[in-house]
Amino acid sequence: MAALIIVVRDLKRMVRNPVRTALLFALPLMLAGIFALVFGRGATEEITIRVLVYDEDQGLISRLLGGAGASPDMDRRLDLVPVGAEGFEIMERGEASALIHFPAGFTQSYLDGEPVVIPIVKNPAERFLPQVVEEGGRIGAEVLSQGSRVFRTELATIGSMTTNSTFPSDLAVGSVASGVNHKLESLERWVFPPVINLETTTVTPEITNEGEGGGTSILGFFLPGLSMMGILFLAQSATRDILHDRESGLVKHLLTAPVSPADYIFGKCLSVLVVSTLGFFFLVVFGIAVGVDWGPAATTVALVLAASLAASGALILISSLVGTERQADALSTIVIMVWCLIGGAFVPISQFPDFLRPLAKTTPVFWAVDGFQEAMQQGADIAAVSTNLLVLGGAGVIFLVLGAAALRRRMAGGLI
Amino acid sequence: MITIEGLRKHYGEIKAVDGIVLEIYDGEIFGLLGPNGAGKTTMISMISGVLRPDSGRITFDGLNIWVEPKKVKRNLGVVPQEIAVYEDLTAKDNLEFWGSLHGLRGPELKRSVHEALERVGLEDRAKDRVKAFSGGMKRRLNLCMGLLHRPKYLLLDEPTVGIDPQARLAILDIVREVAAAGTTVLYTTHYMEEAQELCDRIAIIDHGQILTIGTLEALTRQSGESEVLKVVGNFDEASANQRLSGLSGLRLIRVEAGTVLAGIDAKGPGLLEILPKVLGSGLSIDDLSIQKPNLQSVFISLTGRELRD
Repeated sequence: MAALIIVVRDLKRMVRNPVRTALLFALPLMLAGIFALVFGRGATEEITIRVLVYDEDQGLISRLLGGAGASPDMDRRLDLVPVGAEGFEIMERGEASALIHFPAGFTQSYLDGEPVVIPIVKNPAERFLPQVVEEGGRIGAEVLSQGSRVFRTELATIGSMTTNSTFPSDLAVGSVASGVNHKLESLERWVFPPVINLETTTVTPEITNEGEGGGTSILGFFLPGLSMMGILFLAQSATRDILHDRESGLVKHLLTAPVSPADYIFGKCLSVLVVSTLGFFFLVVFGIAVGVDWGPAATTVALVLAASLAASGALILISSLVGTERQADALSTIVIMVWCLIGGAFVPISQFPDFLRPLAKTTPVFWAVDGFQEAMQQGADIAAVSTNLLVLGGAGVIFLVLGAAALRRRMAGGLI
Repeated sequence: MITIEGLRKHYGEIKAVDGIVLEIYDGEIFGLLGPNGAGKTTMISMISGVLRPDSGRITFDGLNIWVEPKKVKRNLGVVPQEIAVYEDLTAKDNLEFWGSLHGLRGPELKRSVHEALERVGLEDRAKDRVKAFSGGMKRRLNLCMGLLHRPKYLLLDEPTVGIDPQARLAILDIVREVAAAGTTVLYTTHYMEEAQELCDRIAIIDHGQILTIGTLEALTRQSGESEVLKVVGNFDEASANQRLSGLSGLRLIRVEAGTVLAGIDAKGPGLLEILPKVLGSGLSIDDLSIQKPNLQSVFISLTGRELRD
């Protein structure tokens, strides 16, 4: 009974201190909020690069290049907008990632084998997308340069055909076709089949946001890890009360009432667990509000409870081992950050070097994040994440028992 | 009755409490007087069941607090030296929490909280957060928490430390009221005046041991001195000893360079006869003061030190 009274008292303290309580939840919410803002609602929209094409040349090659983005696949990623000279003003306003300018006479110079320049104007306000355009342009220029060298004669003939006012004769067209064909035949050995084949396999499901457990957004990918980190910090803050009570003489005073050390420890553990669990559910609700699909509800609830138990137990154990609030803050912050870094809260485990991957499994953060990802991406039910639940719950209970035993020992030794 | 037998607590070589034997009778205000570090707080911690003694026995009406802690603690109120309240809660919240721990529920809890707040004059601040309280108000609330469940035994550990005289008087009045209603009070202090004004019986404690126990009258009589003389001047220890030790009716308690404390024997020649001899002793005296026998002089005669040392 005394334990429950202590829990109620702690919750009342949270209600009486709305600012302090809000600050407790601020870190995980702030981090999640930043991710939500950065990646957008659910982060389901693909990034499209808006490129202005100023074709002053209006020649064969410039029109061919300008229409390269019209293929259905490219169309999703590249938004090529034909513009005139006003394109420079649009760029001034920062309304596109880059502008590609084909100057007058570009096609003719190219066909004649003369050096040509394609100016690209980049948007300085954007960091990555103009870079993508520049790199793409560089590759295109390389291809055009090599083509110009290999098909020099044929290009020169085509150049003269385009300048003539009369339609080219069958013989001239045939001669160009035959020359191109001849050169392709001689290049076949190197070009077909290509020496290097690039084969891409998608190991994570495609980013979608449809259906229960059908996939995850970028925010959804990071939110479990961030939530776990937030809950660890929340538990850190809640366990700080134990040390504060100890240092301010409140524990001593409490023990003069009909309250045993076991009652007090049980009450405080329960209190930390309740705060952590409430905090986690709060973050889950926040995730749902910004479009994150956590997967099956039962799995999420079970994982939240198990992860909160692990977080509470770990922080109570830490606070029971140190002498002061300051020591506890330093030690627990180190533990939390290391667990989050190697447990995959910020970077997917698949990106880790081989030697680091087994270490990830020693942290509760890994088991929590892994469980949530399973539920989000595969729609895993409770049975499918039973290992995660067992590891988290088991670790939580062990941490709690050890922490409670250490606190009890301190109390018996008069250290509290 | 609170009975303490052979109570001991050592921290390595330091004997914080060293074989205390004590009986505190029902309804009395018992004072534990001693300088800082004498072992008062360690004793209170053991008596209140927070700190386990190395040896000894503490019983409340025959119930051993370390054997049946919850039974004893239901009848026990403790007011610690530290202000042990939750500053982010209101006064009422603090008292409700404390009352709940002592088993008070519903209307009984509400009534007790109201009465306790009224008793210490904080009823109009019930809904204010404690962090907004003055030091004196916090002390009164601290006291309130010990009284809330109307305990049979009340242990107060220096409850007036660091507060203004007015708040101190208010606390002493409350303690008197509580005792008058039948509560047995154990009051520790290092303020001699408090012990003199408040306590029915007083034990003087130093270095973890009780030096003497009795009523104020018995203790002052026990010292056998009518007055204590304090001489301050420009002299060394040897010359003071040489010039004053032979004077009849004067017992040297402490002699240092520049200061002499001496008791005037109640059965000797008397102050009027001794004083001219002291002044004519040849010592260079700057100041001379005479104290009527009190706890201070008792403490000095027992330890050779002043209570505040």
